[in-house]
Amino acid sequence: MVARFLKETDLAAITAAWARDYRVLAPVREGSSIVYRVFSQDMHPFLGRPPTSSAKEALLPQTENLFTYKYRKDQDDLTRTEVFLSEALPPEPTLILGPRPCDARGRHLLDRVFLERGVIDPQYKAHRAATLFVSVACTSMQNTCFCHWTGGAMDDETGSDVLLHPLALESASGFVAKAVTPAGEKLLANLPEATSEMLAKLDERKAQAPAPDNAPALAGIAESFLAVFDDLDFWTDQSARCLSCGVCTYLCPTCSCFNITDENHGMSGRRLRTWDTCMSALYTLEGSGHNPRISRAHRLRNRVGHKFSYHPREFPEAAPSSGQSPSGLEFSCTGCGRCIRSCPVAVDIRQIVLDVLAKAKETAEAKE
Amino acid sequence: MNASNPYIPELATIVETFDETPDVKTFRVVLQDPTKMAAFRFEPGQVAQLSVFGTGESTFVICSPPTRMEYLQFSVMRVGELTHRLHTLKAGDPIGLRAPLGNHFPYRDMQGKDIVFVGGGLGMAPLRTLLLFMLDNRADYGNITLIYGGRTPEHLCFKDELKDWAARGDMRVELTVDNPGTDWQGRTGVVPAVLTELAVSPENAVAVTCGPPIMIRFTLEALGKLGFTDEQIVTTLERRMKCGIGLCGRCNIGEKFVCVDGPVFTQAQLAGLPQEF
Repeated sequence: MVARFLKETDLAAITAAWARDYRVLAPVREGSSIVYRVFSQDMHPFLGRPPTSSAKEALLPQTENLFTYKYRKDQDDLTRTEVFLSEALPPEPTLILGPRPCDARGRHLLDRVFLERGVIDPQYKAHRAATLFVSVACTSMQNTCFCHWTGGAMDDETGSDVLLHPLALESASGFVAKAVTPAGEKLLANLPEATSEMLAKLDERKAQAPAPDNAPALAGIAESFLAVFDDLDFWTDQSARCLSCGVCTYLCPTCSCFNITDENHGMSGRRLRTWDTCMSALYTLEGSGHNPRISRAHRLRNRVGHKFSYHPREFPEAAPSSGQSPSGLEFSCTGCGRCIRSCPVAVDIRQIVLDVLAKAKETAEAKE
Repeated sequence: MNASNPYIPELATIVETFDETPDVKTFRVVLQDPTKMAAFRFEPGQVAQLSVFGTGESTFVICSPPTRMEYLQFSVMRVGELTHRLHTLKAGDPIGLRAPLGNHFPYRDMQGKDIVFVGGGLGMAPLRTLLLFMLDNRADYGNITLIYGGRTPEHLCFKDELKDWAARGDMRVELTVDNPGTDWQGRTGVVPAVLTELAVSPENAVAVTCGPPIMIRFTLEALGKLGFTDEQIVTTLERRMKCGIGLCGRCNIGEKFVCVDGPVFTQAQLAGLPQEF
């Protein structure tokens, strides 16, 4: 597909054009955060830094109706009621502008849960089919980024419909816009083609970007995790600072756990699906009072375990479209670093992973 | 299950309710659509999500057997928001039902074997579905023993049926309570002690156990001492559940989900999982 060029100054206009056909979620600055909002003409999409929130809200809204219900009194016998259910409305065609390649790769990992695990989730499937990703390639890695540990890269196209490569020219700043899918190509149809000078300049810019440090050897992490699973002292130590606030799970592009609750107004209401967090003690609290994950140690262990052990064990065949992880394993983590960047007490999942590997090695050696 | 959307319950009507114990109530339920009710199939041990619209949903075992399909029975302890609300409902009231969910007891593998049921409190509910299924297919199984305990005689569920089962002559029923009160004729003491005293043989036998965690712990110990292997012990797990279809995340043990890979497990299967119960 031909590469095209989008001038920075034309960004608002093309977004407005897309907004005629799609509900556009665009990243905007709000305080020190960059969050997705439904685009309107007075908004200025901000693509200069990775958004604070992940793109998963386009596919798995923070709150959505599963269905609505209505009670009706039997007019012949007012002590009796009947109940009627209505399916949720189908999702609007949606375009999300500004995800990074780590977000776009999160689409594949959400597919694993909602489309490939067993029961197909009809609402996720509908969102998935109705949503386009216009992503922005990264020009540098922040010190919290580790996409290369999980098979990602600053210009990885996996999961995007369009990938915008930032390019600063003397004449005009903007983006070399590359369509990844036919739907993406249609979005770019009215843009001028990128010149060979632009493409040469882009290659030059990419070549100059410093390569990230080598990713650690993670091939044994799934089993190392299980080897240290019962070492509760280790996990208590790792989780000592954790506040159970759950921001890591809410901002994560792949955390997909959800709650189901009813919201009632008089004789009618709705059943909702909302994001949930395994960092909360309530998440696993049973009616009897029993809780299998009673402490923060248990809960942090579950999150790390899910991403780096349970997921690769559940899906041992990494899909070819998921990028080539240097470990050969597919993790339920794209290395976006949001959980590190936004954690109020600086819990760093990279360090936990490295500590798990070291602890497992130490324990194995002690046994010999 | 709703074929196009697994989150949308089938509408059902409560046809009968009665109290089992001071805090357990039994509900008998039929699907509102008679065609769907006639087509409804499940296996012993499978569970359902019951909805009270406006309050929410919770998971309960279908405690009637698939051999008796006039209604689906649920016995519910009043412990939380949903179960409190459920206990206020009466015959004729509408509820929602998503079922069948989860796996089931390996009853085919149990054919030709002696069966030892070991239950405590409302743990009798999943055992009831399998016990009735086996009694309805009595020739397929060897000796059947039920050891069942409760806090007090009043706290035993299915009291009338316990008498019927004891009177049948083709199974053994041993009841025990922690606090006998004045009129109790049966045993006093905890379930694992009765198990040990009866010295149930593990020879060609399967033990099926369900009850509070503390009872399970000592029952497993007692069964082990009697010579039962982990493969010969079947149990069902409790977990907080929401979706019931393996997606919402909370009931995981390692990469397994209790709502789809369980709730029925052999002790050998549980020993192979991360120990987080």
